[in-house]
Amino acid sequence: MSTRGAIATGTFIARVPGVAVALVLLIAAFSLANPNFATLSNLQNILIQSTILLLLALPMTLIIMTEGLDLSMGAVLTLASIALAVTVIATGSTALGLAAALCVGLGFGLLNGALVAALDIPPFIATLGTLGIAQGLSLVATDGQSVVGIPRGLQQVYGGTFAGVPIPILIGIVAFAAVWLLLYRTRFGGYIFALGGNREALKLAGVGDRAVLIATYAVGGAMAGFAALLMTARMNSAHPTAGIGLEFDAIAAVAVGGTSFERGNGWLTGTLLGVLVVGVLRNGLNLMAVPSSAQVAGIGALVIAALLIDGLRSRP
Amino acid sequence: MNVAPEAVAQRDRIAPLFELRGISKQFPGVQALDDVSFEIARGEVHMLLGENGAGKSTLMKVLCGAYRADAGELFHNGERAEIATPADARRFGIAVIFQEFTLVPYLDIAQNIFLGREPCSRVPGFVDRKRLYADARRMLEKIGFDIDPHTPVHQLGVAQQQLVEIAKALSQDARILVMDEPTAALSDRETERLFAIIAQLKKNGVAIVYISHRLAEVFALGDRITVLRDGRKIASVRPAETSPDDLVRLMVGRAVDRTYAREYCKEPGDVLLEVKNLASDNGIADIGLTVRAGEIVGLCGLVGSGRTEVARAIFGADRVTAGEIRLMGESIAGSPEDSARRGMALIPENRKQQGLALGRSVGDNIVLASLHRMFPSGIFVPARAAKAAQAGIEQLRIATPSPHRPVSVLSGGNQQKVVIAKWLNAAARVFIFDEPTRGIDVGAKAEIFRLIDQLVQKGAGVLMISSEQTEIVHVCDRAYVMRAGRIVGALARDELTEANIVRLGMHQ
Amino acid sequence: MSAVTQAAPARRGLSRESVQFAWRVAAALAVCIALSLLSDAFLTTNNLLNVLRQTALLFLMASGLTLVILTAGLDLSVGANIGLSACLAAIIIKSTGSPWLGVATGVGCGAAVGLLNGVLVTALRVPAFVATYGMMWLILGATYFYMGGETVHGFPPSFRQFGSGYFLGVPIPIYMMLLFLMLGTLFAQRTVWGQQIYAIGANPVAARLSGIPVERRLVLVYVVSGAMAGLASLILLARVNSAEADIGEHFTLPAIAAVVIGGTSLFGGSGTIVGTLIGALILTLVVNGMNLLQINASWQPLVTGVIILFAVWFDIRARKSGN
Repeated sequence: MSTRGAIATGTFIARVPGVAVALVLLIAAFSLANPNFATLSNLQNILIQSTILLLLALPMTLIIMTEGLDLSMGAVLTLASIALAVTVIATGSTALGLAAALCVGLGFGLLNGALVAALDIPPFIATLGTLGIAQGLSLVATDGQSVVGIPRGLQQVYGGTFAGVPIPILIGIVAFAAVWLLLYRTRFGGYIFALGGNREALKLAGVGDRAVLIATYAVGGAMAGFAALLMTARMNSAHPTAGIGLEFDAIAAVAVGGTSFERGNGWLTGTLLGVLVVGVLRNGLNLMAVPSSAQVAGIGALVIAALLIDGLRSRP
Repeated sequence: MNVAPEAVAQRDRIAPLFELRGISKQFPGVQALDDVSFEIARGEVHMLLGENGAGKSTLMKVLCGAYRADAGELFHNGERAEIATPADARRFGIAVIFQEFTLVPYLDIAQNIFLGREPCSRVPGFVDRKRLYADARRMLEKIGFDIDPHTPVHQLGVAQQQLVEIAKALSQDARILVMDEPTAALSDRETERLFAIIAQLKKNGVAIVYISHRLAEVFALGDRITVLRDGRKIASVRPAETSPDDLVRLMVGRAVDRTYAREYCKEPGDVLLEVKNLASDNGIADIGLTVRAGEIVGLCGLVGSGRTEVARAIFGADRVTAGEIRLMGESIAGSPEDSARRGMALIPENRKQQGLALGRSVGDNIVLASLHRMFPSGIFVPARAAKAAQAGIEQLRIATPSPHRPVSVLSGGNQQKVVIAKWLNAAARVFIFDEPTRGIDVGAKAEIFRLIDQLVQKGAGVLMISSEQTEIVHVCDRAYVMRAGRIVGALARDELTEANIVRLGMHQ
Repeated sequence: MSAVTQAAPARRGLSRESVQFAWRVAAALAVCIALSLLSDAFLTTNNLLNVLRQTALLFLMASGLTLVILTAGLDLSVGANIGLSACLAAIIIKSTGSPWLGVATGVGCGAAVGLLNGVLVTALRVPAFVATYGMMWLILGATYFYMGGETVHGFPPSFRQFGSGYFLGVPIPIYMMLLFLMLGTLFAQRTVWGQQIYAIGANPVAARLSGIPVERRLVLVYVVSGAMAGLASLILLARVNSAEADIGEHFTLPAIAAVVIGGTSLFGGSGTIVGTLIGALILTLVVNGMNLLQINASWQPLVTGVIILFAVWFDIRARKSGN
């Protein structure tokens, strides 16, 4: 018998409400709690501010699909932003600055990949170690001080518009499309599914599974490098502790979005919704004057709830 | 489906598609294959029969390049061939449908079929989806499987996944398909469909090597039947030339080989273990058995019949969904902790992964199940533990200079003794052995049986799972036979013969 | 010429563990020698006591964590736990004036967090590091929220003795270190629970099938780890004499490092409490050395990260070749 999308959407119907419901509920709750929340400009703000997180959460989805994790993303983002700022100040060229940031990101991505795939170090420890390395380098390079004096032009990247659409949103759309195509339309994307779902099958098919794993972490590093462009433009400076903790938001977004940690199943749209959930949560709490450092409690609770639900759901 | 004699004669005159000649393969302590010859002809279903351990899977592993034979030759279309690796086998068009599927759950059917060989579009790295799904549809049509290739594999049942595996093999131009118990997990309807697909494949000239225990299938589907026994080829016949009884006799009849002689229990004691209507979420149901003091009770049946699941359910390792277990008269709760405390022991099939803590010493392992019993105050005294361990080592004659050696360096037989010692130290009275002599060489097997015999002579009761019918027949006082998750028969001492076990255990 | 298997005398000789322990002690000594050569300030009483005091603090944090890692688990929430426990204890001390109530609060809070971790780890179908990672942020955020960005300081001298007091010329934290070294080693090596924990780390399936209540023991190790973090937070509090939300944040990585450098395998089943002590000592010596040589403190997380990677890599290599 022909099985059509009817069954295919079945599993996802069980999931879509999860994160979408959470999003709707949060928006409703914050709208009630604070009249400033549901304004058009604030909602647009949420979208813009979520772009950086989206750039991290998309590759994080891929990495988690391979049963891995990248705890160093925030620190790498920070270091990349410092590299970018220093380069832009020194050469006056945004393009060169971006190149520097991408180099840093890619470098750490490859390092992570090598540690995990070639040396068989468990991903969380490997990236915990590289987190320390990246953080250390950031502190040493800046001596704990912000890097300021960035030419005005860079700010345009974050604050400007193109054809009436804020540039960050455009970047977000392009990034989502790119990763979506990568995961669902290329051979490489299929191999990522295989890494988490049945690594043996990949080896039997003669595909270099280690290379695919390294490449996955490399993509993560590169996108962190790209996100540095947005972050530096947004703050008009680079600070050695700016991006710390963003990896947690990214992991939270992925977990809330429904991607499982152990089955080789990834849902990019879920991650997108998860990013919005985190963005809404942070924005709403901001408006309620909850300090950023405390907001993580809410996000932590969200993650644990998501994991619990996922655990309950997969018990037969 | 039998082929007309003239066509058979015609085919026999040209070289077979593939031939294995004089294959021998030895593993430490066991001759798995001894001078076995096997022919595979185009468009023919060649049935491979034999008891567990007869050498079927070893032969197939030689064919698909997983093993290298110690002696013998391979021929492809009459010419010498070398198969050193699985890649070589693939080049000859040999594909094996494994029991564990090599499918990626969250990719769809087409992606799985062409994993690693996806058709590429003009943009490098991107998959040409039109061609991918068209090609996949063509493969599925070839086997008459009408399903949307966009369906994710994790949504498919076992039968359907098997069909995907077949399509995958065909997409690699398989000319020889090896199938190991393909209908084990299929319903009757799905089996019919598989047979139709096999008929289709035959028409296309694909040769199929089919391992099965189901005599009905053997006669319904086979063009030729080869029977292995103890690593040797016993017969190679056409279905028309034989009968089910003949086959059973061929599979089983052997010079009586007494590895261990034992005095059977004449007067069993109290009922130690009583199980009624037991069912678990692992596919067993309606299980009822008893074990009395002084008895060795066998639990036999084919691989996959549910024996290990019964053992685990009784011990509490799996969740029980129905039924009652009474240990020495008391109804028990169904957890390993409770069972161990009350005197039940489980010696698992996979001793390295489930029975031993390999990173720990012999002594650590021996006291592992009796820590609270030996040290009720909670304070662990290494000297006392070492003494108990040493006593266990001496009692079972475990070959280790001291209890402090890591258990990982011991031989298989001695490792098994450590597991037994662990439960002896825990004062167990009911022992469930799952394949007690697996992976143990012939010399040590007799000693394991001697130990088990000593246990029951001292008043314990033993439930023994074994896939080797000889063992059951010679060692057990009586036995239950399982098939497809149920107990289909009980054999008393005078009825306990290999033929009876095989007859009850196989699908008729 | 007897081939009979005789009971060998119960003499262990040089086991692998002893050799590895010796290597670590040698490494610590090597660092000491190097530092005494590189800096005049190293071998002063003041500096050495400082080193020992810091080691004691780190060791207390990492001692319970050792048990968790022995079961092949991990607790990434150690730092956050320290922060929460310290802040709660601080507030109780200030409001009730009683140091002992504060101590009880600190340890109790730590244990409660540990209990939560343990329940989560055994209930969720995710690895321990993910569960404790989520908990880490939850606790951190909650502490920040609770403290409102403020600092609590100024504690009664009787309490501050904990961290900065001396007894017979030796700082009190060092006594605590020795006490818990002894207690921890006794627990691990001389109790039934300890033996069961090693077994769970070596093979949780076999442990369960041998009748060991694996889930209950896992909860136990997380509770102990949490309680020790709580205790350490009190010492920290007593030393710095102030409490703020992120007081513990910088200790997570070094605590894990101390355990791993000390020879406890991340894959479970092997390791000792005294090894963690040596690991803490080595790490503290390295940091101390960096301070004495006036190397920018910003290098410390980097060095810690690299050391962890090396230690884990050695562990993995040793496992592959040894087994």
